[in-house]
Amino acid sequence: MKKAIKGNHAVSYGVKLSKVGVISAYPITPQTTIVEELSEMCASGDLDARFIKVESEHSAMAALIGAATTGVRTFTATSGNGLLLMHEVLHWTAGARLPIVMANVNRAVSGVWNIWAEQTDSLAQRDTGWIQIYCESSQELLDGVIMAYKLAEKVMLPVMIAYDAFFLSHTTEIVDIPDADLVDRFIPPYVPPVSLNFDDPRMFGGFFATDYFYEHRYTLQQASRETLECYPEVCREFHRVFGREYDLVETYRTEDAEVILVTAGAITSVSRIAIDKLRDKGESVGLMKLRMFRPVPVDCWREVLGKAGKVVVIDRNLSVGLGGVFASEIRSALYASTHRPPIYSVVAGLGGRDVTPEDVEGILNHVLAHDKPSDEPLFWGLKQ
Amino acid sequence: MGFREKSSLFRMDQPEKGRKFMADKKRSEMAIKHEFKSYRDITSMHVSLGNMLYNKTGSWRFIKPIYEDKIPACQNACPAGNDIEGWVKLLNNMEYEKAYWHLKREEPFPAILGRVCFKFCEDACNRAVLDDCISIKELERFVGDQFAPTIPHPELPENDSQSHKIGHLAVVGSGPSGMSAAYFARLLGFEVTIFDKEALLGGMLRLGIPGYRLPGQVVAAEFEGLSNMGIELRPNTEIGKDIPMETLTTTFDYVFLATGAHRSLSMELTENSSCCRIMSALTFLKQVARGETVALGKRVVVIGGGNTAIDAARTAIRMGCQATVIYRRSMTEMPAHPEEVREAEEEGVIFRFLAAPEDIALHADATIEKLVCCEMELGPADESGRCRPIRKEGVTFDIPADTILMAIGEKPDFEYLSRRIPTTDTIIHTQEDFSVSSDYPAGAKVFAGGDITDIPHTVVHAIASGKRAAIAMDCDRRGVLFSDVLNRIRIGTGTAVSFSKYMNWAPVNPVQRNDQNVVDSTKIVYDYFIKTPGFEKSIQPADLRKDSFEPYHATLSGEEAIHETARCLHCGRCTECDNCLIFCPDVSILDRTRETFGYAIDYDYCKGCGICFTECPRHAITMVSEG
Repeated sequence: MKKAIKGNHAVSYGVKLSKVGVISAYPITPQTTIVEELSEMCASGDLDARFIKVESEHSAMAALIGAATTGVRTFTATSGNGLLLMHEVLHWTAGARLPIVMANVNRAVSGVWNIWAEQTDSLAQRDTGWIQIYCESSQELLDGVIMAYKLAEKVMLPVMIAYDAFFLSHTTEIVDIPDADLVDRFIPPYVPPVSLNFDDPRMFGGFFATDYFYEHRYTLQQASRETLECYPEVCREFHRVFGREYDLVETYRTEDAEVILVTAGAITSVSRIAIDKLRDKGESVGLMKLRMFRPVPVDCWREVLGKAGKVVVIDRNLSVGLGGVFASEIRSALYASTHRPPIYSVVAGLGGRDVTPEDVEGILNHVLAHDKPSDEPLFWGLKQ
Repeated sequence: MGFREKSSLFRMDQPEKGRKFMADKKRSEMAIKHEFKSYRDITSMHVSLGNMLYNKTGSWRFIKPIYEDKIPACQNACPAGNDIEGWVKLLNNMEYEKAYWHLKREEPFPAILGRVCFKFCEDACNRAVLDDCISIKELERFVGDQFAPTIPHPELPENDSQSHKIGHLAVVGSGPSGMSAAYFARLLGFEVTIFDKEALLGGMLRLGIPGYRLPGQVVAAEFEGLSNMGIELRPNTEIGKDIPMETLTTTFDYVFLATGAHRSLSMELTENSSCCRIMSALTFLKQVARGETVALGKRVVVIGGGNTAIDAARTAIRMGCQATVIYRRSMTEMPAHPEEVREAEEEGVIFRFLAAPEDIALHADATIEKLVCCEMELGPADESGRCRPIRKEGVTFDIPADTILMAIGEKPDFEYLSRRIPTTDTIIHTQEDFSVSSDYPAGAKVFAGGDITDIPHTVVHAIASGKRAAIAMDCDRRGVLFSDVLNRIRIGTGTAVSFSKYMNWAPVNPVQRNDQNVVDSTKIVYDYFIKTPGFEKSIQPADLRKDSFEPYHATLSGEEAIHETARCLHCGRCTECDNCLIFCPDVSILDRTRETFGYAIDYDYCKGCGICFTECPRHAITMVSEG
């Protein structure tokens, strides 16, 4: 069934179709309408889930840790500062191997207040052990949530779906809402590896001393790397059932491209327009959209970008003192390749500043006109 | 993963607990040695290999919650220890009859106190912090008016089935103290006779309190009820005149003296004090109560600032007179109940404060012309804590008057005791059980209560003294020391004792109760309560009520009563709100089953975090230290 819905509600529908049992959340703009919709679904009985109201995002995640340990499918959503408040428990969730799924609406983090799009919030959680998937469209969000449960419960790691505030969260698009039966077949009820049993109580998340903690961390790393093998399988199965294709990255006109632009999130859509325009003018440009960012699909990146003459990365985020996070990570991933194209790092659109097709075209023209990237990232559109 | 020995699981400063922990651990199957050979042995979810039943995490605790009901501030404030919360809860459940009998367990005359009590309970009500106090007095009247006092008493013992000696009790005086002693003694199996010199029984209730505050038939109905319980009533029988006191002490096992303070104090203001229009306010009230004709003239001046003065002035107003109350201090120092004063003012009673009577000027025909008053000013506080009134020498004013009523206090009349019981001018000395030493030659043990003893002179205090004395007499005949019983039956921090506790009757909530722990407003978590103001009490306007001796406000309607009961915070009493159950992070508050009320605490796993205690809206959980 096709429906015109906002990006946030696409997430809500994905959660509903995934038959989540416990939802716990604390409101924060621009996330709130996700859980608002879910609480209405719970109230009306459309979704048979327990909705736990809490006093902070930290508690929201803590409540899910408890709930997920009992073996129930769980969900929360947050944004910006809320995600930062969760930081401690994010480590715990991954370490405890709980397959929680969370939607994070990328919102600028404060020094001064700003509620608009920026990816710094989720990128600041990159070392927590959570799988991170960046989305561009409402359809991708709905499908992404369903795939996230499939993946999370396979590898026993939590998954974060990240997407741009307002550009995606509050924009209405037509979304194909799959049949519940198909979704049920794709993700059958969650069977936890260990269930709580009052008659045979066990200790969860106990104490590891110096002799095994190190091994424990290693297993976490292993699980995260295994995700890279599992994920394409999940995508293939999803494609078989629902007919839509997703992968670790998505490429657009990259086959013979001399310059490859890398984007994540909503900027991708406007970038396609710019690519088409420059292609029409005879320029050899292509686009790679980052989807999975953690674990890092190093091989995949090398394969796509290793043939390019130049790589441009637009980061709607800032690792202060370094520059764009995606650019930095791609640079490291390609360092060991036989072919190392120069990486042009562009920081743009911070705090929800609009990045238009003309901006992207301008950025690409700049790259085409310069043989070498500057040492410092290019702050595109900065009021000088 | 494997379970690792955890020395951090017990407190280092509690070696006892630590040793016990280790001993339990050794006994358990869980003492498995498990070595990981490789990271591959580590499973995804980190769960102990063995079961953790041996690890009672309650051993970490050093303070523990106790689930126990307590004494609400209202009950603590009530001299009679009325279990207000108990019957309010029953009332709120629409269990009227249960509420009625539960109320009567501690306070036998709700229709009376529901009308005339000075409601110490409402002054203490914790709800007042939030919005308005609960109208407990009105609720009590509502409960009292639901049933005739003549309906059979469900808790009345059958005399012949009593294994103990019956005990014969003579009650001298039928006021609230005597009524109460008779009622409770009867429930304890005594055979009781009430003597009163008046034809109308009820003492001050019947003769001193005007009908618009307490209709005579309400008092009369209570005596019908007492009579139905098998209590013998002997009106028109004055002890010391019709029957000598010695006869009582020889024919009865116990004598309870409750003769009240009926002798009015007087002041010599004129040489011609035999003038019939100068009289005591109490005498005047009694004459009106008896239906006698009293000629007042037009202008009545009442001297005094107590409740008798107000009652006399308002009665005079109802007889078509103008009434002026003169009082030598200011309104603040007035002993009369402020509500009575306000209502009197509304009805047209004029108050002249800082005025002391000096002289009564008479006409040639010996009728009164005027009262000459001296103006007063307030000096420093005296031993009563009130400011001492000081005469402004020579500053006088006149109040024209036809009748002057003296309401400057009442004293008991101890003539009938023939000095065989030591008294002062105003009281009989009693022990904590209200027993009295006497040198009557034979038999009876003598007790005393009400206004002849050293307690505040209110109806509810009188009722409380009767209850305490009845219990003390029962202890005496059973050969039990009252002082040994007292701790078991004491309610709250005041003087109240509980008849239910003495009888081992179950409280409304069948849970453990700490009767000495009082829940005041500092212990209530007001965040859990929504502001809901009390109902507007509908009182007849002053210009309507001042012409009638009929009561001027109605008993609550059923809806009003339920509105009020729903506002009760149930301080210190569990209402099964589930807050503790919801908030306990250790799942150690055990859910009630359908059969039993309330909760249990699983001390095997309760870590003593105190969240249940903090989140209980009404302080039905206490934290106590352990070990």
